[in-house]
Amino acid sequence: MLQNVTLLNVLAIAIGAIPGALSRYHLTEWTKAKYGTKFPYGTFVINLTGCLAIGFFFTISKTITGYPKELDLLIRTGFLGSYTTFSTYGFDTLTLWRSKQKLATVFYWAGSATLGLVAVILGAAIANFVVK
Amino acid sequence: MDFLRGHLSLSVAIGAVFGALSRFYITEFAEAIFGRDLGFYGSFFINVSGCFLITYILTIAFENIRSISPELRVMTTTGFCGAYTTFSTYGLESKGFLDKGDITMLLIYWAGSAIVGMIGVQMGVFLARSSVQRT
Repeated sequence: MLQNVTLLNVLAIAIGAIPGALSRYHLTEWTKAKYGTKFPYGTFVINLTGCLAIGFFFTISKTITGYPKELDLLIRTGFLGSYTTFSTYGFDTLTLWRSKQKLATVFYWAGSATLGLVAVILGAAIANFVVK
Repeated sequence: MDFLRGHLSLSVAIGAVFGALSRFYITEFAEAIFGRDLGFYGSFFINVSGCFLITYILTIAFENIRSISPELRVMTTTGFCGAYTTFSTYGLESKGFLDKGDITMLLIYWAGSAIVGMIGVQMGVFLARSSVQRT
């Protein structure tokens, strides 16, 4: 089942995951310090830019023949998977709801999901445009 | 874990490696069991369980149910849960259903992840408050 997973695959994911999580951590802390904690701007922007990037890189990986699997694991599974987060999205939604910002909660919860999908489509379109 | 004291970034990085690899192996496992096209079963489970876990830990930490050091907190939440769950793959898989014209699965997966994720969050709050005796 997992025989085709090599040490290089695991290393590629780990090497991507560290800068992914650290950029998320520091971006979130920076936006908290700069714009306050009323709305989770950091996570919102991180998830949308991550969606844009995954749409782009996934399309690139499917278009270019011989795109190395390790590069895909490094960028997509490692970096982007770790950079974006679903758990904080869920927890932020709860925090917003508790702070009695009903409209902001709905915007963040449904908006992240909707704009995330739009961002993936946009990223794929940019990749198609660049490659052609 | 004294050697980590004050090293928040290092703690995040350690958690992230385990989180990302757990996600990778669970996705591979789901693909091996359900088939190559059904890897999203793995992502769905990962995102919902990650929502549960982060809320469970943060409720325990922020409501002082138990004292958790900031290093351990960011390692398990920002690092592990953050890297374990993924928003980008969720978006990409949703687009996959859209491209295939499978609107039913798109709605089930796309809206379902957001809704069931919030149920996971509520479970996390509930279990954190009920399972541990307040001190």
